Amino acid sequence: MKRLRYLFNNKLAALSLILISATFIVGIFAPWMAPNDPNEVHMELRFASPSWEFLLGNDHLGRCVLSRLIHGIRPSVLWVLAALFVSAGLGTIIGFIAGYRRGRIDSFLMRICDIMLSFPGYVMILAIIGILGVGVENILLAFVLIKWAWFARIVRTSVMGYAELEYVKFSKALGVGNLRIMRTHILPVTLPDIAVASSSAYGSMVLQISGFSFLGLGIQAPHAEWGMMLNEAREVMFSRPEMMLAPGIMTVVFVSAVNFFADAIQVALDPKLRTNSSNRKYQSALVAEKMRRDEVA
Amino acid sequence: MLKKKASFMVLSIFIVMSLWLVGCNSNNENSENKEPGNEPRNELVYATAKDINDMNPHLYAGSMPAQGMVFESLVENTADGIKPLLAESWDISEDGKTYTFRLRKNVTFHDGEPFNAEAVKMNIDAILSNASKHAWIKLTTKLAETKVIDEYTVELVLSENYYPALLELSMTRPFIFLSPKDFINGQTKDGVNGYHGTGPYKLADHKTDQYATFVANESYWNGAPHLKKITAKVLPAGETTFLALQKGEVDFVFTDDRGADSIDVEAMNLLVDSGDFRIVRSEPMNTKMIVANSGRTNSPAADAAVRKAIWHSIDRETISDAIFNGTEAPADKLFSSNVNYANVDLPQRKHDVEQANQLLEDAGWIGHDIREKDGQKLIMGLYYDVNSSSQKAQAEMIQSSAKKIGIQLDLLGEESTSIANRRSTGEYDLLFNQTWGLAYDPQSTIASFTSEASYYHTTSGIPEAEELYKKIEEVMGSTDEETRKSLYKDILTIVHDEAVFIPLTTGSVTVLAPKDLEGIAFKQTQFELPFDRMHFE
Amino acid sequence: MGGYMLRRALVAIPLLIVVSFLTFILNTLSPMDPAEVVLHTQGVPRITDELLTETRAALGMDRPLLTRYWDWLLSCLRLDFGDSYVTGKPVWSLLGPAFVNTLQLTLVSVIAVILLSVALGILCALKEGKLLDKSIRSVSFILTSMPSYLLAALLVLYFSVKLDLLPTNGMDTVGSYILPVAVITISYAGIYFRIIRSSMLSNLNEDYVLFGRACGLPERKITKRILRNSLQMAVSVFCMAIPIILGSTVVVENIFAWPGLGTLSVKAILARDFPIVQAYVLVLAAAFVIVNSFSDMLNAWVNPKLREDR
Repeated sequence: MKRLRYLFNNKLAALSLILISATFIVGIFAPWMAPNDPNEVHMELRFASPSWEFLLGNDHLGRCVLSRLIHGIRPSVLWVLAALFVSAGLGTIIGFIAGYRRGRIDSFLMRICDIMLSFPGYVMILAIIGILGVGVENILLAFVLIKWAWFARIVRTSVMGYAELEYVKFSKALGVGNLRIMRTHILPVTLPDIAVASSSAYGSMVLQISGFSFLGLGIQAPHAEWGMMLNEAREVMFSRPEMMLAPGIMTVVFVSAVNFFADAIQVALDPKLRTNSSNRKYQSALVAEKMRRDEVA
Repeated sequence: MLKKKASFMVLSIFIVMSLWLVGCNSNNENSENKEPGNEPRNELVYATAKDINDMNPHLYAGSMPAQGMVFESLVENTADGIKPLLAESWDISEDGKTYTFRLRKNVTFHDGEPFNAEAVKMNIDAILSNASKHAWIKLTTKLAETKVIDEYTVELVLSENYYPALLELSMTRPFIFLSPKDFINGQTKDGVNGYHGTGPYKLADHKTDQYATFVANESYWNGAPHLKKITAKVLPAGETTFLALQKGEVDFVFTDDRGADSIDVEAMNLLVDSGDFRIVRSEPMNTKMIVANSGRTNSPAADAAVRKAIWHSIDRETISDAIFNGTEAPADKLFSSNVNYANVDLPQRKHDVEQANQLLEDAGWIGHDIREKDGQKLIMGLYYDVNSSSQKAQAEMIQSSAKKIGIQLDLLGEESTSIANRRSTGEYDLLFNQTWGLAYDPQSTIASFTSEASYYHTTSGIPEAEELYKKIEEVMGSTDEETRKSLYKDILTIVHDEAVFIPLTTGSVTVLAPKDLEGIAFKQTQFELPFDRMHFE
Repeated sequence: MGGYMLRRALVAIPLLIVVSFLTFILNTLSPMDPAEVVLHTQGVPRITDELLTETRAALGMDRPLLTRYWDWLLSCLRLDFGDSYVTGKPVWSLLGPAFVNTLQLTLVSVIAVILLSVALGILCALKEGKLLDKSIRSVSFILTSMPSYLLAALLVLYFSVKLDLLPTNGMDTVGSYILPVAVITISYAGIYFRIIRSSMLSNLNEDYVLFGRACGLPERKITKRILRNSLQMAVSVFCMAIPIILGSTVVVENIFAWPGLGTLSVKAILARDFPIVQAYVLVLAAAFVIVNSFSDMLNAWVNPKLREDR
């Protein structure tokens, strides 16, 4: 039974992974993959039905929906990924310093994290676009500003757990350099935690950015973005409901894939972590930490 | 096997979702008006994207249609000229400087205070004491004195002859009358105690950003209106409003005072097809346009060639056909020829990409993708009203055609108040705007070329600015019809040559109303609707 | 225990001060010169440099930053956030009612989230691996992967337009709560029920359950015990969900024209009404810190175990 469940999980996970990577690749090579210029207006083709030239039809300005969908991958998916990497990287470095050095540096860094985390995610985003103006880059900046603290907390908790382990203490006693201990002993074991945390945050970030574009606070015309496409489709929701299908399904499928995948790696990494009982306390603290900041668009 | 189930779930949910989406097309007919048929309806709920805001009649924050229901002016601007309203009749002295108004008797404010000469004087004095706010309306600078002659006679003394005086007195604001009891220390500029006017409706209830209700003024001097209650419901434009209309939660929408329609033409047509609604459109009232900031020296918009190139790049026919379904005709000059004094022969700038390119080329803007001149890229910001889906669509279309001539336009959607604010601070390159409508065109719109609150930044950067302002000053004080005509001609020619106002389409006020609502009429202004004339059959 | 409560409460105070200072700084970053804005709202026709300097002095902008911060903080504590640039009304007269509306929406939603997620969590844990468990989890996966605006649009289409049961917007009747609350609930319950399910599962495998079973304790008693544990979890979820949902109703409010903070703040941003944006950030961040502290305390009170490692 258990094996079956694993298989089930893994197969779905594999499928999700394929979907996610395919989306990435298509997004990266968007200019070559897209059949048409995504911003080219053809007023005579307003709301045209799918044709061989425009496989998914045309939008309210006669632009190619498929090309816009493909170019929309960049802001909707890839830029968010970049923001995720930046914040995870920053968070990891700070979390490592805090968790490994402990003491005053730790409490200082954690107070900063506390402060950053005192601004609810949405409020931080609204504050930043309120001051710097609307635009997707400001939302990404806000993501980095909030998420690094979240990552730092998770990584710190995780590092603290491993730094207490016997073999780390042993290496320390042997006089192995701190950097080396971190690199060889701690980083490899904390990586899964980082991976789990990032992958579970990713889905909600994608949803958030599309939510803001939907409200008109994110990406600005003419650039394509899934949330923006849905917003445009919403205006004709009753006369042309089919316009919502492409970006809507794309968003749901992609975020589902990310969530499935995140879940799968969590399950996959779980048993390994479970075996170490001294780790349990940290595991529960880790879960609590993650839950604090789970947000949905 | 389990995997199959899971994927089946996923699949079926998508299918259900798709069916919903596609299926809703046919659901439209389901909604019927739930009103009981036997009792005559006498309430109306209209949707508005903006709150009615501060109704203070002597300031500019409030919603104009709402102010128009509650407050009244001395005279009214109609298609047949100036007609009596709160003033029954008037005389103008030979030199054009003294206006004597005989007021309508038995008019009371909503709080029971009598409307008389004292009240008129108090209101006008309050307006004048806040003169800097009203700089756009030149009458405020020409009014020397308001005299109470007897209880129902008022005399306005002007410092010099000013021909649009009556026109300006007829405007939706600021020369409208508030009960003296609502004044704070004899003033209105720092807020008021209430919003009691003399109009057909009284403000009964207001919840900021939710709704405002107006009830009929049963003792209205011109007879109580038929519709007993009018509610202004704040709703986001677009499909939320559409849904609310379809469900009967609101039953009326109209073009707002910034020229934005809450729902687009296609959605209106859908509602009309459902059989519950009808569309009533006014005569063409104004010109929708893009305003260029000639006064912003570091912006390409200060270059006449760039402005002309944009003018040439825009395909107005397609905007009219595709975005407005032919309901708004293309416009090729600031004022259409039926506007007073505007029947002037001006060279037409057609949709012509080659000429646009040539203009830019000649002016030294060169390059392939985005043109450049002296290291400056040809990039400008274009501001549009986020609550207007048609403005967004036009903006995107214009952006795309500008790109073809090597101009990059950055589109920025903002609330209309912010855009109005940008217009007065000069923080813009290009923005969407409209002329002020029949009652204001051309005199007030042109007078506002000189006003910082309006089009000062638009016009101040052109080489002929000094001459333009001098001519505007002259035309307002002109007494001779022929001089006036020729001055207007010069003014219109200057702004046309400089292409600071890039016309798009002629706008009108569109009303979507319940099918059985009769008496829908329009005033000479896009800012008000005569709700008191409407009634259900 | 009292000690923990006190410590937790004390932590909140410096946090509030720093948060307010950051919000204050945020305003100085705003691209609009406050002096210029004041002059414009006063309708001064020509703004000269001298006039600007004068106004800056009148506004006290030439004083040191910390002095200005202190004055600003004091007026904020009196709920005086200045006047809106757009309407000229005091900010609090707009923000206050909106805050109450958002709070109402949040509370109703949190209760719905708890009921749904605890119920589903227990149900799924008891039926672990069965079809019901799998289906509920799959459906929740899809629903939480759906942007909330899309979900909202679908719900409105079905319940408001097709079935004509519920209002599409506003907060006029009890019925108008249903759809916004449903959207929030579906999004969040999908996350929380999984947490409850997995902690229920580990609970079921706890020693006392196995031991109880081995000793032949009636199944009813064991279930009771388990339920008591899940009550604690419900409290935890409640504590975590309130501040998060409070801060993230933006999208839902805008879709349903809910007259709350989310609608107000988005409008203010698009109208560049900075005093409102600033007050919104301050009020929500302060509320977030306070609610967070309270929920930590509540959580600690219900789950004494948690107190140790904090």
